[in-house]
Parts: sequence; structure tokens; C-alpha cells
Amino acid sequence: MNLLKMGVSAGWLDYFRPPENISTTAHLIDDLFNFTTVMVTFYFILVCIGLFGFSYLYSKKRNKTPYYTYGNKKQHLIVTAFIGAVVFLSIDLNITRIANNDLVNTFWKFPDSKTEKVLKVEVMAQQWMWSFRYAGPDNEFGTNDDIVTNNDLRVPVNTKVLFHLTAKDVIHSFFVPNVRLKVDTIPGRITRVWWEVNKPGKYDIACAEMCGTHHYLMKAALTVYTEEDFNKWLASSSLIAANTNDPQDANLAWGWKWEE
Amino acid sequence: MSGGYNEIHPEPTTFWSKYIFSFDHKVIAKQFLWYGIFFLGVGGLMALLIRWTLANPGVPVPLIGNILFSGSGGVVPPDTYAMLFTMHGTIMIFYAITPILIGAFGNYCIPLMIGARDMAFPLLNMLSFWFAFLSGAVLLLSLFIPQGAAAGGWTSYPTLSTLIGSPGAGQTLWCVAIFIFGISSTMGAVNYVTTVITLRAPGMGYFDMPLTVWGLWLTAILNAIFVPVLGAGVILLILDRVFGTTFFLAGASATSGSGDPVLFQHVFWIFGHPEVYILILPAWGIVSDLLSFFSRKPAFGAKATALSMTSISILSTLVYGHHMFTTQMSPLLTQSFMTLTMTISIPSAIFFANWLGTIWKGSIRFDSPMLFSLGVVFVFGLGGLTGLHLGTTTTDLFLHDTYFVVGHFHYTMAASVLLGGFAGIYFWFPKMFGRMMHEGLAKVHFWGTMIPLNGIFFGMLLVGYGGMHRRIYNPFIYESLQRLIPVNNLITTSAILMGFFQLVFVYNLIKSLLSGEKATNNPWEVGTLEWTIPSPPPHHNYDIIPVVKCGPHELGNPNLKTGRDFQYQTEELVQA
Amino acid sequence: MSTRGRSELQINLATNIVIISMAMLFATLFMGYAIYRSSAPVWPPMGVQRVSLLLPSLSTVVLFISSFFCYQVSVSTKKNELSKGHKYLNLTILFGVGFMVLQGLLWNQMKSSGLFVSSGIFASITYAFTWIHFAHMVAGLLALLYLKKILKPETVNLLTKTSSVENFWYFLEIVWIIMFITLFVF
Repeated sequence: MNLLKMGVSAGWLDYFRPPENISTTAHLIDDLFNFTTVMVTFYFILVCIGLFGFSYLYSKKRNKTPYYTYGNKKQHLIVTAFIGAVVFLSIDLNITRIANNDLVNTFWKFPDSKTEKVLKVEVMAQQWMWSFRYAGPDNEFGTNDDIVTNNDLRVPVNTKVLFHLTAKDVIHSFFVPNVRLKVDTIPGRITRVWWEVNKPGKYDIACAEMCGTHHYLMKAALTVYTEEDFNKWLASSSLIAANTNDPQDANLAWGWKWEE
Repeated sequence: MSGGYNEIHPEPTTFWSKYIFSFDHKVIAKQFLWYGIFFLGVGGLMALLIRWTLANPGVPVPLIGNILFSGSGGVVPPDTYAMLFTMHGTIMIFYAITPILIGAFGNYCIPLMIGARDMAFPLLNMLSFWFAFLSGAVLLLSLFIPQGAAAGGWTSYPTLSTLIGSPGAGQTLWCVAIFIFGISSTMGAVNYVTTVITLRAPGMGYFDMPLTVWGLWLTAILNAIFVPVLGAGVILLILDRVFGTTFFLAGASATSGSGDPVLFQHVFWIFGHPEVYILILPAWGIVSDLLSFFSRKPAFGAKATALSMTSISILSTLVYGHHMFTTQMSPLLTQSFMTLTMTISIPSAIFFANWLGTIWKGSIRFDSPMLFSLGVVFVFGLGGLTGLHLGTTTTDLFLHDTYFVVGHFHYTMAASVLLGGFAGIYFWFPKMFGRMMHEGLAKVHFWGTMIPLNGIFFGMLLVGYGGMHRRIYNPFIYESLQRLIPVNNLITTSAILMGFFQLVFVYNLIKSLLSGEKATNNPWEVGTLEWTIPSPPPHHNYDIIPVVKCGPHELGNPNLKTGRDFQYQTEELVQA
Repeated sequence: MSTRGRSELQINLATNIVIISMAMLFATLFMGYAIYRSSAPVWPPMGVQRVSLLLPSLSTVVLFISSFFCYQVSVSTKKNELSKGHKYLNLTILFGVGFMVLQGLLWNQMKSSGLFVSSGIFASITYAFTWIHFAHMVAGLLALLYLKKILKPETVNLLTKTSSVENFWYFLEIVWIIMFITLFVF
């Protein structure tokens, strides 16, 4: 328990920041989070000024005679209504507007594989492992040349990746903290998410929906390659897959036909 | 105006009729209070076990580890950990907060504050307690069965909560316990709503009721309407688990047929969102009254506060989908829920302004009930504001199922309700037991709760924003989370500290019950009806049903000639 | 304790809150049913036969007759003709039990045609609804038996208590009619 270390260490600001931002869209969420935080901090400081200030100024010692009012005079009602309106207009309407914008123009704008370069990946979540499927050279999912990895997602940098996800047994949730996005994986349904990473490296993938005893162990590795390295990996994996994929292996057969 | 009769009936004489199967709302209230405090302790202990495991993975729990977890050398195993956080949530919500705030304060305060001799239906009241007792027994029983208690989170989402994810009777017993508790809640709700509508003393219009009663009344209305929704969901889950239906099953593991797991989430949160307002409304009411009483001036904008609480109750029914943003509902649903969630800010801001307006230019007495009430203003302000980050869909896509959510709901649901509940206990203890609690110990309890509490839950906001997801046995197998270890340790240290200071409360409670200074009729010098009668009140409460002539917050009127700075509700209103 | 007086308002209010509460439980089931049905490509699902309308229709008629007699109970009580009231109450209970017997026969018929509670969503929802409704019918029956016990001249607030039980019985009837139409007819 390193309480002392917290105060002494120069890196304490570390505790107030989110994971490293590696995607093209994470800044939208971070910016909105920061905007919301600034706004609510402003109002909370006002509340605290009122709370602590009034507690100090109007203690029994300092103010013997309270001001007898019901707070229902016209000017009181106007002030109160004004406060309600200002809070709503300044924070709520703003963050809704920004979020709606981001949803419609970015997060719900799924890339069209027919018109742009998109890497398609199918994701199967199960107790307690992530499986990822790439279409392989024939560009068809559910065929024998598919590349299937477990707990090992590899993507190229600066390329949109489109995920179709499902779960085999219980609800899981595909969470990549450095991309700021998560989407639930639901048995019997296909959910979708897309993102694009702009920084190579190794990052964590986690499961963000309680899925049983080893929910905490459902960790996968996200490896972001340069384009060149990714193509190398894809090619060599395709070769291995073509040679070793056993059509009888039930564990490999979870793919489905990709439908936009 | 009101309807029922309020006769005085003979007092019970036998031990069983006086203390066990009592029809007296005051006794039933105390039964709920002890019941709730017991489960608060159990739930709190579970929280400490969770926090110990998070700060010291693999280390045996000191003192009790070898007794509780002998099979694993005193260390909490992962499956037990899942059971701990599931039962912690379930127990705190249904078996601690509900019995204390709604069962105890509802039962004690409503009849007394409206000038009635008892609830409208005393037999129903008694049954409500014993059904709650039965429910608690079933839940505790589930801890001792071979495959363990429910371990799928208090939210119990299928398919984890179906036989696919939770074989064994624990989850089924959880469903049964919740259903029985729902029956208890509904009985209580019928009683509270009917009592407030029909047994108000002559002269007490709705806006002459203390805001405590408003909070409890609105809670009861929401309870009556939404608890059955959970009841239906839980019945369907039981059918899935016991009768082989497939309402919530789907996917490759659902070999017997297919339904819709997400339907459970809709049903659960249609109940679940009103439920969180059910839990906080009594505390809001209590704080609204206490801020006025201890500032010695009327509650600022009392009518507006009552109406804000009412509009929040109504709005709470329309926003449940913000718990489900990551399930990818249709864009229309998603955007609608986000926008509707935002509207709750307006009435919330209004009654916050009214709280500050109440203490503004007051003459504040910092007795422990007031300290706790001021504490609620602080923690609910902080917690409520973090709701904005979560109600916004895009930020929620990052924050959902992280510790940010845990910090948010603990600030609003645990901290606020706990502080509000303590405020209520310190305030009404003299009336309930005829003795004063020790004020010095109460203040120690306040600071020992307030400061660590912020360490715990603000720490959670930080680690959540830092990316730590929830319901995790050992977060630090994720390299990216290891930088958060010091904050995690701070949370655990604060939790242990806060837990320790609750012992001060328990000691104060017992000591005061046995040898506290005798209380007068009206030690706090306030004017609501319960303070016009002895502490504790006689069995029939009021010798003569009071006639109400003014509001509940008549304090600080400069024209009073009685030598007091307040008016009883039975006194003719002195014009200012 | 039973000599305690109750105002009409309290009894009516409590009854209405209980009815609203139970209505919410059924409303949740109807919402679930609507979602299952609207997301199924065809209803009943492939290979599942509809339940024959004979027993459900008979049940509807029997319950309707029971409600009619229930109405007569309150008419008689209002006119203070309590012996007539008891006669009609007996008929109400008789036809209520008749409904419950028909429900049992319905379940038997479903089982003999291969529709068990675990035989897919169509069967499951039918059983779930009818079982839960049946459980509330038991409660209603207990209420009618309670009414039988108190249907005497010295009972305080007799009219209010009668109409209270009556309303609960009508509530059960209305829920059944909605079930009949949505589960069996359409």
C-alpha cells in the first residue's frame, strides 16, 4: 500500500488520464469527456462555494438571525428556474449535440468494403477467450483458408477495421481501452464496431461484461503492425492456415457468411 | 381530503404481539432498521473482502481468511469473488438501503409526520416485514449451498444467469428471494401510498407535508408500479432455469431453443432505473427537511422541490436505455434515451439550488444530522454530475462497465443514501428510543465516513477513466492498468478506514440505547407533528388527532411571540 | 383488529394500487410476447401447431359467466338482498373453479399434442401466461371466499369490500380476454 508514494511521485498526474490514445476517433470521446468534466467541475465548484461558503458565513455564531423566506417570491423562482435552464442549455444540450454528431458522422458511419479499403474481422467471444477470424485469400468468411487466432488480434496501422461480433455462450463485451470503444457480444446476434488505429504497438483487449469466473482472464493482445509487417503476417498465416486447417475441427468452424 | 378512521385500540400485551408480530408501525420500523443494519454489515464485509482482493491479489485475508476460505489458504478464490460482488450489490440495494430508508423511515415517519395513529393497513404492514425476512433468509441460505450463491452480478444478465452460465441452485434461489422481496415491497407500497392519501391530519394539504413524506410517498408510487416488472423478469428467468423454457437463451450454447437475452436487460432496467430513484428519493426528502430545520429557516422553494422530485420520478421511467448503450439498440432508441436522460438535469438543478437557498442566510446549527445532510449535498452533487458523462452515449461507450460507473453509482446511491440514512438515524433516534445519541461520537463518525468515502469513490472514478473495467478478480494482469495500482490501494485503504469508523456508529448506537441521555419531546426544536408528542411516542401516537394550521418548515419567523424561533404545525400561522 | 373501521377510500385505493401493480406484471409479459412475436419470421414458429380454440373459447365463456354472476353479487348487496348475494357468489365461485378446471384440461391437451413448457417459445409463452394468470386466479378465488365469509349485514363497509373483490375479479377477466385474443385467436 504505497500511499506515501502517491503524493511524493511526480507522476501523480498519471492517475488522471485515460489510456494512451491510439485511434483516429478516440479524441472525439476524450474531447467530449474533457468538455463535460470542465462544465460539471465549474458547476460543482459553484455548489461547493455555496455549500462551504454558506456553512461558514451563516453558522449560528456568525449569523444569529436567519432570513425568513419561503423561497417562492417571484425573484427566487426566476433565479431557480434560470439556474435549471442554464445548466441544461450549457451542459446537457451541448453534450447531446456533440455526441449525436459523433455518433451519426463517425461511430455509426460504418465503412463500406465495396468503396473503401477495409479490413474485415469476425470476432467470437466465449468463456473465456477471444477468437478472431480473417477471411483469407478467397475473401470469404467461413471457408477453409480463414485465418483464426485466439486472443491475438493483429491489424495494420492507418486502415479502417470493421468488426462483426458475436458470442458463443454468454454476453461478453469487446473492449479496447486505447481506442475508447466497446461493444457487447451477444449470443444469437451480430453486433458491429469499426475503428482505425494510427500508432503501431501492442495493446490490451479486455472483456467488459461479466461472463463468469474467469471473466478477468479474458485478455487478448492487440498488435498494430505497419502495413508492410501486417501483409507479411497475413501472407504467412494464410499459408499455415491453408496447410493446417482441418475442416472437421469444430473449434475452427464458428465463422459465418459476412453480411453488410 | 383524508378518509380513514384513527381509533385508539388497546395496546398489545404479550411478548410475541409486542415485539415479534407487532402491528405497530413504530415496532415494524425498528424491525426493518435492525434487519437493514445487519445486512449493511454483511454487505459491507463483502465489500471489504472485494477490496482486499483487489489491493492484495493472492494474499490471504487477515483474521477471517482462514475461517471463510480454508480451502484456498485464506485467499478469496475467483468464483467466490464473483459471488461476493453479486451478493454485495444485491444485499446493499434490497436488504440494506430498502429496509432502512423505506422500511424503517417510511414506517416510522409517515404516520407520525402526517398526524396518524398508524398505517392504513397494519396487518399488511406486519406481513410486509415478515415477507422481507423470509426473502433475506432465502438469500442467506443460498450462500451455504454446495455450488454457491448467485455469481452473475446483481444485474443477473442472461445467458450468464441461465443454466448455461450458472448451473446450481444459487441463482435460482436468488430469483426466488428477489420475487419474495418484491411481494414485500409491493405490500409496503400499497400501505404507504394509501396512508399518505387518506390519513393526513385535518388541515394538512399535500404541500403541508414534510418533504421526507414526499420522498417516501413518491418512492412508494414508483415501487408499486415497477417492482412487478422485475417480478415478471425474474419469473421468466426461473422458468428458464427450472422448466426448460428458453426466454433468454440464444446462441450456440442454447441447444434447447432460442429467445432473447437482451429482452431481460430491457425488463430489468425498466425496473432498474426507477429503482435507483426509489432508493434516493427518501434521502432527498430527509435532507430537504433537515437542511431547513438546522438552518432555522423555511425550506427554500419547498413546493418547487416537491414538484421537482415528482417530475424526476416521472422522467425516471423514460430513461432506462442508458444502461444499454453498448448492446447496440437502434439509433432512434439510443438517441432518444440519451436526450431524455439529459432532461433529468433540470429538476435536479432546481432542487440543488433550493438546497443551497435553504442554508443561504440561515443560522446554521452543525449537529450531526446537519453535517450528514450537508455531506449528502456534496456527494450527490459530485456523483450526479458524473452521470452526465455516462448518459452521453459516446463517452459511455468508453466508460460503460468500468470503475467510473461504479464510482458514479456509489456516490449517488451508496454515499448519498448512507449519509442521508445516518442523518435520519441521528435525527429520529431521540423520538424512536427516547434517548439522545452521543453527539461527539456522531461527529467522529461523520468525518470518519465522509473523508474515506471520497477516497474510495473518487478513486474509483479515476481508475475507471484510466480504463479499469469492473467485476475483475485481478485487474493488474493488464499491463496498461498497472500504473493505477497506487490509486487502487488508496481505495482499499479508504474502504478499510471507513469500515472501521462504522464501528464508532455501532458503539454509539448500542451505548445510547442502553444509557443515552433521556430525550425531551422536541430536542431539535422543530415543528413537524412527531415532535409535539413524547419521545418515544405512546402506542397510539396522538391522544387527539392534531389539526394542522401551517407548513412543516415554519422556522425563523421574526414575528413569533412564543419565545421559540419556530412554530408547531398545529399552531396558527403567524404572519410575517 | 378486524373490527377496525376502514374508509371506502382506503379500500378502493388499495385495491386499485394492487390491480395496477399486477397489471404491470402482465404488461411486462405482454411486452416480452410482443417482442418475441414481432422478431419471429413466422408465427407460430415453423412446425408448431396452433392450440385448438375449443378449450380457450370455452374458458372465456365460463369466465365471462362468472364475471356476470359477480356483477349480480354487488347488485344484490347494494339492494341489501344478502341471501341472493350469497347465491350469486356461489355461482361466481363455481364458474371460477370451472375456468380453472378448463385451464387444467387445456394444459393436458397441449401436452398430449406435444406442446410442453419447454417446447419452444410459442409453447413457453402460452404456459407462462396461463400459469401466472392461474396463480392470480387462485388469489382471486381466495378473495371470493373471503367475501363469502364477510357477506353479512354486520360487516362494516360491505359495499366497498364487495366492489373491491368484484373489481379484482373483473381485472382477471380482462387480462384473460387480452390473453385469449393475443395468444390463441391471432
